[in-house]
Amino acid sequence: MKKATKRTKMKKSARRHVIIGNCIAAVAAADKLRELNPQDHIVILGDEAVPSYSRCLITYYLGGMVTRRHLLSHSEKWYQDRNIDLKLSTRAVGVDTGKHVVHAEKNGKKQKVPYDKLLVATGSSPIFLKSFPRDERGIIGMRNYEDSCQLKKWARKGKKAVVIGAGFVGLKTAYGLVKRGVQVKVVELLPTVLGRMTDMEASQRVRERMVRHELLDIELLNSVVATERVGNKYHVFYKDGTQEECDFIVASVGVKANTEFLEGTEVKIDRIVEVDDTQQTAAPDVYAAGDVCRSRHIVTRQWIYNAIWPVAVAQGRIAACNMSGEKLRYAGNIPMNSVDFYEMWITAIGDVQQQGTDIEDVTYSSHGIYQNVKLKDGIPISFMAVGNVDGAGIVRAAIVGRTPWNEFIKRPNTQIIPVVNRLSGLLSHAI
Amino acid sequence: MKAFVFRNDKCDVCRECEVACSAACSKSNNESARFAPFIKVYQSPEGPFLRLCKHCEDTPCVDACIGESLRRGPDGIILQDEKRCIGCFMCNMVCPHGAIKTVMSLEKAFKCTLVCGSEDDPPCVTSCTRGALFFDDFVNTVKKRRNKKIKGLIKK
Repeated sequence: MKKATKRTKMKKSARRHVIIGNCIAAVAAADKLRELNPQDHIVILGDEAVPSYSRCLITYYLGGMVTRRHLLSHSEKWYQDRNIDLKLSTRAVGVDTGKHVVHAEKNGKKQKVPYDKLLVATGSSPIFLKSFPRDERGIIGMRNYEDSCQLKKWARKGKKAVVIGAGFVGLKTAYGLVKRGVQVKVVELLPTVLGRMTDMEASQRVRERMVRHELLDIELLNSVVATERVGNKYHVFYKDGTQEECDFIVASVGVKANTEFLEGTEVKIDRIVEVDDTQQTAAPDVYAAGDVCRSRHIVTRQWIYNAIWPVAVAQGRIAACNMSGEKLRYAGNIPMNSVDFYEMWITAIGDVQQQGTDIEDVTYSSHGIYQNVKLKDGIPISFMAVGNVDGAGIVRAAIVGRTPWNEFIKRPNTQIIPVVNRLSGLLSHAI
Repeated sequence: MKAFVFRNDKCDVCRECEVACSAACSKSNNESARFAPFIKVYQSPEGPFLRLCKHCEDTPCVDACIGESLRRGPDGIILQDEKRCIGCFMCNMVCPHGAIKTVMSLEKAFKCTLVCGSEDDPPCVTSCTRGALFFDDFVNTVKKRRNKKIKGLIKK
């Protein structure tokens, strides 16, 4: 009996954890893995040349709102302190789930990395369409540090840029470019800006606030049908027949999960990696976390693609726990996001754009504040706030906890939210 | 792990804690200290309620912080690196206590990080004459309260 325990202990100490990807899901997982198994070997394969950084901040870096030191939050010392073997500029090209080996490539040199447990946290990359293919001379996506450095080089005063897609990344990129003095035109196919986050009213408010800046223009219900390089510039042809000249183009029409290297393995992929509640994929000993995989909607329990920072952190940690033998399930999260443009805050939580006969709207609308809560059978399912976002977390707790709205508005701590108590909206104007 | 515990049945909204918080924070050089008090008591028909960072054990705000400005300190206090705050207000979006102070003009979010400098007995707690506010190990507080109740029952 004693011998058996010894053997399992020895086996445990010799384990080798390999993490592909080096963003927040990977870093959170590595941190948790080291906390749980002080003796194990942890390897991180990052395809970029810099250590981990906050991917959400690259647009702020572009606009000069954060410094390079702030952006690159995890120095190489961070990895050394935790005794993590960090391999930079190393791209995974294939996984052999039978032999437990990752095939990687560094500067054209191939190498094999054996693993006992593998975590895939490769994230996602921007989509380019036929009408605007990726071009090193002037068509770029906005996803990593190199992209923002490249854009920083191009973005000089007096230049003109076209941003395709007024989603989250698109608007933030446009905001950053305008801060650098570039004239920006944003083109969006949908009738609203910020995609799934806003309804018509909120979208209009955001758009009005943004186009007040003379360098920024947002055009809705239009799209790019073709681009052509002429000399140093690009000709952009729009759906409505007009055309325009610009210096460079940023594509932000959507993202796709980086799963190419998993093709041919047992891992089930339906555009994104399919995982179960313990973050395990269909292949044994292979886990996934972050933007590369799906997660549950905590209220409806459906599988959704929820590519936000808090989900990546939680998934990384839960995957790390399961990789070291603890059984933990991830309950999921709801789609949500928060952003500011020119001191105008927008927070959206839940399925904001859901419509139907059984859905009731509760709205507060005044000069600077717009708030909307959608109720289904008397239970809040979404919250959206523009202008005043105070106490958004309290509403989020009610959405997740399925608190009936009638009960919720009687609680004392909800009285600071204008949509609950109209008086507080007036008061926040006065202050 | 220490946390703030509030008993709204004992509070009578004298706001001594708010005054004490402002006074203590004004000695600090931190940027956030200008926006004290971080403790706020509200009167409502159902009794008073408190908006204050409770320094929870499960920290949604730290997990949601995209600028990696919020972090858990060595003794359990949730600290903030003010220079790193970019004002995305993700923390405000996930905090179920509504404890984050959103300062629109500075594009920053502030919260109680015990800038008053006393981690054993913060001024808000010491100023409370009604015994409505504690800063203690949460499990300990609950245990103490339970023991007191049991003793009371035995006396009856």
